[in-house]
Order: sequence, then C-alpha cells, then structure tokens
Amino acid sequence: MLNPILEKDIKTKMRGWRTPVLLSIYLLFLGLVLFLFFLANDQLFDTYGYSNFNPRIAVNAYNVIAIFQFALLMLIVPAITATAISGERERQTLDLMLCSDISTWSIILGKLVVSIAHIMLLVFASLPILGMVFLFGGITFGEIMLLFLFYLITALMVASLGIFLSTVFRKNVTAIITTYICLGALALGPVIVFFIWGVFGLRSFNGEITYSIITAFLFPSPGFGFSSFFAGGRSSIFGGIFSEIMNLAERETSFIRYLKPWMINGLFNIIFSGILICLSAWKLNPVKRRKRKAKKVD
Amino acid sequence: MLKITNLVKKYGRFTAVDNLCMEISEGQIFGFVGANGAGKTTTMKIIAGLLAPTSGEVLVDGIDISVNPRLVKRKIGYMPDFFGVYDDLKVDEYMDFYAGIYGIPYRERKTITDQLLELVDLSHKRDSYVDNLSRGMKQRLCLARSLIHNPSLLVLDEPASGLDPRARIEMKGILRELRNMGKTVLISSHILSELSEICTSIGIISQGKIVACGTVDEILDKLSHTGRVKIKVREKMDEAVKLLQEQPSVGRIEINGNSIEANFKGDEQVLSEILKRLVMNEIPVVSFTETGGSLESVFMQLTEGSEGYNA
Repeated sequence: MLNPILEKDIKTKMRGWRTPVLLSIYLLFLGLVLFLFFLANDQLFDTYGYSNFNPRIAVNAYNVIAIFQFALLMLIVPAITATAISGERERQTLDLMLCSDISTWSIILGKLVVSIAHIMLLVFASLPILGMVFLFGGITFGEIMLLFLFYLITALMVASLGIFLSTVFRKNVTAIITTYICLGALALGPVIVFFIWGVFGLRSFNGEITYSIITAFLFPSPGFGFSSFFAGGRSSIFGGIFSEIMNLAERETSFIRYLKPWMINGLFNIIFSGILICLSAWKLNPVKRRKRKAKKVD
Repeated sequence: MLKITNLVKKYGRFTAVDNLCMEISEGQIFGFVGANGAGKTTTMKIIAGLLAPTSGEVLVDGIDISVNPRLVKRKIGYMPDFFGVYDDLKVDEYMDFYAGIYGIPYRERKTITDQLLELVDLSHKRDSYVDNLSRGMKQRLCLARSLIHNPSLLVLDEPASGLDPRARIEMKGILRELRNMGKTVLISSHILSELSEICTSIGIISQGKIVACGTVDEILDKLSHTGRVKIKVREKMDEAVKLLQEQPSVGRIEINGNSIEANFKGDEQVLSEILKRLVMNEIPVVSFTETGGSLESVFMQLTEGSEGYNA
C-alpha cells in the first residue's frame, strides 16, 4: 500500500496552480539563459552559414545551464521542504496525523519522498532544454544522468534539512528562513573556515595541505561539491583549483584517494540526510519525548 | 474502558492537570465539564497520545498509553477542539486519506466512507471540497474521520463549540446514535446544559482537579440545597452586595446592571433569611427570585474562583 501522505500530497500538489506555475517559471528561466548564452556566443542568426559553428560552445552552454539549474534548485528546495511539517502544524492537521497509529517515520519519509519527487519533476522537465546541447554534440546522455544523480543526492540533503527544521519550528516563515541560513552556512562556512585556517594557521597542517584535510573541510559544502563535479570533467571554469586537488589525491595514502571530490560530497550528503531524517522522526514523536521528560521529573 | 490514575501535567510551575483520577466504563457517555483553562483539553490530549504527562497513568482497555501508544491509538478516535482541513481535498478524498493513515485496505475504504458519511449526514457532499463546507459540516466530517478505524473509545473535545443551535442539535443526534452503537465517549464542554441531556455520567474539572464525578442525579444529590438567586434593587447596590458577602451561606456574586445574582447553599429557610436581612437593612428590593437549573448552580459552586464559564 502506498504511503498515504505521499499519495495525498502528490494529488494535491499537482491539482493546485502552484506546481504548474513554478514549473513554467523554472523552465522559462532556464530556456532564457540558454537562449542568451547562444546569442552572446554568436550561435544564433548566423548569416555566414556554418562557418561560425563551434561545438565547444555547446559544452559551455551545458555547464552554464547546469550551474543555473543547481542554483535554482538550492533556492527552490528549501521553500518546498521547510513547510512540510510546520505547514501541517499551522493548518492544525498535524495532531490529526499524530493521534493516529501511523509512525512518525512514515510521516517524515512520506513528506521527504513527495518533496524529492517534486524536485525531480523540475529536474527531468528541464531535460529538453539540456538536450539542446545534443544538437551540437560533445555531451552524452550518461553525463546528463550523472548530473541528475548529483542533483538528486544534493536535493535529498537539502530536503532533509528543510524537513528537520520544519519539525523544530512551528511557523513556516521561521522554518524557511532558518533553512536558507543553514544552507548558506553549509555552502560557504567550510570554505571560509578552510581559508581562514589556511591563512592564519598553516603550521597546524605541518606546512602541507593534504587531500584528507581538504576532504574534511571543503567537501561538506554543496557548492564545492558541485564545482568539483564539473572540474573533473570538461569544464575549465574550476579546472585550475581541482587539478591541484587531484594532484594532492595522488599523494594520499588512505582509501579516500580512490574517491573523486564530488563522490565524497555525495557520501557526506547521504549520511547527513540519514541523521536529519532520524532526528526529524524522533522530534515529531510526542510519546518518545514524554518518556525522556518523565525521566527528568523523576 | 478508560482509567486515569494520578495524572499530572505541569508546564514549568503551572500545573494544568493536578493528580487527576477517573474511570469510564464501556458504553458510557462521559461529559467532561469545566471552565476554559480548567485542564480538559490537556487531559484529552494526553489520552490521545499527543502530550506527555509529567506523571501518572492512562490505561485504555487495560493498556498503558506510555507503554504501547500505537495499540492504544488504534482504540481511540480523537476529535480536537480546533482542527484544520486540507483545502484542496474533496470530502471522500479526505476520508480516504485518513483511512490510509490507519492502514485500512483500499477495497474496504469506500464502504466505510459511505457508512460514516451517512451517519453524519454528509453523503450529499462527498464530491465537495472540504474547505467549502460550513463549520458545522466540518465538525461532522471530523467526527466521521475520528470513527474511520472503528475505535471503541471516542475522545471529543468540545465538538459543539462555535456551532449554531441547529448544528448543535444535529451533533447531539449523532452522539445519541453513537451511544446506540455502543461506543464509549468522553466528551468535553464548558457548557454544562449541553452535556447533561446526552451524558450518562459527568465529571466536573476545576483547576486541573476533578471536583465532582458521577451521574447527573448523583451529583445533584451530593450537593443538594444549592441554588442561585437573582435580586433586583432600586438603589444601594454596594450596600446590598456587602450584606450578601457577609452571609456565610452566600457564595459567588455577580452584578448585572441593577440586579445581583448570587449562589447560595441551603434551603428555603436560608433564602428567606437572606431576604429578611436585606429588607431590615432598608435595601429597596424590587424582586427576589430563585433562578437557574440546579445543575448549573452546582457547577458554579464547584468551580467557584475559576473564570470564563458560559452558560
């Protein structure tokens, strides 16, 4: 039997006007970015036949679209997920679920799957726009699927964070703002801390920055993980930094040398999501909290 | 069916439920009466597994809710005092959703939904959006929702609050039907007269404590010779109030314009003594009438000191 929360939320989300409007704006924006990119690179309205055709532009266009899509997802996911539980609380429907025998795990997982499905709808709907680069060649379908997998794992982490904060805060607005703040801190915090430590405390690295140190500090950041995803491939945007990092990886002796930076970021996202989902289910359970409180009073 | 022993709920220094004990046997319609803030909702939320008690025990069919909450929740149908609805769901979808929440198989859902919508007289609204229903209809729908898993105990927190007289009568009719179906019902209200007609037993709660419990007749017997008198005076209102306050048989006093309403304990002899004292002190009494249902007077006397009662 399908999770009833998943069943109901998918039905109501698709029935309302919000999802089609969000999807339309999202696709229009991505389409506009692609159009402007081709326009700026003189790939449209070419009056000189095929003389100006440049397949390299297609790869760059793919990179630009992927970056914009990632940025948009980071903006949209918190708005979708951070109201999952606080919205039920504000609507005064949460108690009706909690007084039933459904487990808090089912509630949280139902909400999480709905959010991920909603996000993946946006991602897959953009496939025709990303597919435009096939006209030029240079990008394979497998690469696009790998990119979508990276989106999925990152969205899972951000969605888990949003749902966790929506179990903590009672108001939708507070939950959304806090999710954005936490996501910003997670994206920029590790980078800032790494560079401050790098500048002021280089001696604590024994004068040498290793792949392990970079892994521990930088790869929890979704932005850095995403950058490394491209750096390993064709993009020259982040190439310089990441070729240095990969040189460090070769000197690494532990097992992490076999993992690419984006894989480490993905692993961190999966583990962090697991922890947040467990915490959300625990926080939502009034009976469990009762036991703890009762012990304190005794 | 339901046994509560030494239930305590504290919020910091404030005690919402104070050592509450009560027992409801199978098939009873138990009215839980108290002023606003007396602890009714807190007690009901604890029974429904939505709040953690500070201490004490709640047993439903002999099962402790803190030991096996999921099993107890299957036996309880809870209807909160304030509840929301999903504005983008239709009535039958709303019922189907909660049927899914309770793990009812798809093939059985339609039959159960049909029966329950028939019970609460909403069959004709099954294709309407929940948000478009009137408040009374939403209350009835919520009652139908609380019955979806066929619970043996219903916990209804002020089901008739905010309803117009017609909707209240309809709600009472449904509750009578539930009584005929053999359900055990715990129903709260701050309006005593609303419950006295349909309940087999009544518990009066004040400041987190049960102050009286039993059948309506038992409560009246226990606190007989309790009444309420309405005195209308032409002038010297303050002096009249002062004289009444000096009388040991007079309890709570309320002033409405140029009339005074006072609770008193005693028989007609006591009542005539009060009148005599007022007249002898040259208070211009225009009228002196014993008023109110005796059950109301009992309630007022028992909950004296607490505020917010609406008759």
